[in-house]
Amino acid sequence: MALFPIHSNFERDFVIQLVPVDTEDTMDQVAEKCAHHSIGRRVKAQPDKVLRVRHHENGTIFPRDMLVAEAGLRPTETLDILFMDS
Amino acid sequence: MALMKREEWYDLTRTTNWTPKYVTQEELFPEEMSGARGIPVDVWETYDEPYKVTYPEYVSTQREKDSGAYSVKAALERDSFVDRADPGWESTMIAHYGAIALAEYAAVTAEARMARFAPAPGNRNTAVFGMMDETRHGQIQLYFPHANTKRSRQWDWAHKALHTNEWGAIAARSFFDDIMMTRDSVATSIMLTFAFETGFTNMQFLGLAADAAETGDHTFASLISSIQTDESRHAQQGGPSLKILVENGKKDEAQEMVDVAIWRAWKLFATLTGPIMDYYTPLEGRSQSFKEFMMEWIVAQFERQLLDLGLDKPWYWDTLIADLDNTHHGMHLGVWFWRPTVWWNPAAGATPEERAWLEEKYPGWEDTWGQCWDVIVENFQTGKPEMTGPETLPTVCNMSNVPIVGVPGNQWDVKDYQLEHEGRLYHFGSEVDRWCFQVDPERYKGHMNFIDRFLAGEIQPPDLNGGLMYMGLSPGEIGDDAHGYSWVEAYSQKIDDAA
Repeated sequence: MALFPIHSNFERDFVIQLVPVDTEDTMDQVAEKCAHHSIGRRVKAQPDKVLRVRHHENGTIFPRDMLVAEAGLRPTETLDILFMDS
Repeated sequence: MALMKREEWYDLTRTTNWTPKYVTQEELFPEEMSGARGIPVDVWETYDEPYKVTYPEYVSTQREKDSGAYSVKAALERDSFVDRADPGWESTMIAHYGAIALAEYAAVTAEARMARFAPAPGNRNTAVFGMMDETRHGQIQLYFPHANTKRSRQWDWAHKALHTNEWGAIAARSFFDDIMMTRDSVATSIMLTFAFETGFTNMQFLGLAADAAETGDHTFASLISSIQTDESRHAQQGGPSLKILVENGKKDEAQEMVDVAIWRAWKLFATLTGPIMDYYTPLEGRSQSFKEFMMEWIVAQFERQLLDLGLDKPWYWDTLIADLDNTHHGMHLGVWFWRPTVWWNPAAGATPEERAWLEEKYPGWEDTWGQCWDVIVENFQTGKPEMTGPETLPTVCNMSNVPIVGVPGNQWDVKDYQLEHEGRLYHFGSEVDRWCFQVDPERYKGHMNFIDRFLAGEIQPPDLNGGLMYMGLSPGEIGDDAHGYSWVEAYSQKIDDAA
């Protein structure tokens, strides 16, 4: 387990933000930690959607249960957090 | 003895050069300070600044200007304008003085470098006046706000801001260090006087003066108009340098300097001046929108001048024009949301009436920025003010040192332009910011922005309080909503009216 900084580019928000996650977090947990800084602050919740994590540069959508440590991310990598149907 | 007429001696003295006997030309004008770029001395001697002045004329005119500005201040002091000014306008002044006053002192050094090392004698002559101009601008913009330090400690940031690691101060220092403190004389004449002063100080000192006059702040209006009369003279040092470079096979290098400096100035102005013009200035005092000012003072002016000088429009010109609809709205929302991290009190400028003005000036504002403000307003109305502030830091651009922002809401398009260079991952707010870095990575690669410093452990404890201490912001200086959130009441009133 190790702290791992990423940058959160949250759908419908206006700014990218620094979010500390853990190498053992799943992508669902990453999305949840990012949501804390956007949903209810500047972005309305969308209860009928799920949040998915996408690689900012190559567009890969990560499996929801993939761990940060497995995703091949560089420290401070920017990730898109998207509202999706599943 | 009768004095010689001006025209009999002026051209001789302003072009006087000399042939060194005890040192070489290279020792007298080292390339890293001078920047002649291999162009011979006799070519630099053809440098022809369009605005010429003698020392007696200069002193006489400056005395009159100072008398005018100080007299207006003295006469209006009894009027106590600041006591009854809209808090948003007071924030405008506090933000302006903090970001500008000490940069003017720094500009004395830049002018002094040109006065000593510029390869063109005419440039050296003009820069002596420029040096005295900047001394005056530093002094007057410290003296005027000093009268208000009794009102709040934020006014003291006129002197304090650029000595701190407050994030906006880091951004301003990074820009001014780049274009005027670490460049040779020729580059300084182009990047500082042509790219920055010709357009952007016009915007700050004349555009803002128009708003000041509309708002009733005649002291500030007369002060900054007075400064701009100096700027419009010494800003003309860059044009003749550009002409010589273009005519001597250095167009690409000249174009690159212009392009970098204009872009960096734009990002800083989008952060400082954009919010002031479109959000802080009371609605009735707004003479034009920020975009309208930019189109008139920057876009039209630069297009004409660049083409006249044989240069091209910057390669990113269409991007810049498109950004006029967006970037400063993001910078404003960022500054307001992270309001404890600035030395002034940001005005939200988001009442229903103000939003109608924004939608008129920027069609689509409601569909984008308005979506974020809706959530903020709802949080106030439902008793969740803690949700109107941050719990983390925004990602900061490694070139402009301001947050990476984009369009939110229904037209969401926020993007980070990343670059891995020598094993370090850099983040940029636009393709152009990344290009500026790639033009000269050696110059920029070592700089640590606020996030880099945070991640390196320089900010302790690593939380908001640690961040505020690192930025030098103490109680009484920390920013808060300019109107004490009274603007939210306009929404309740709207609901009451509808009922």
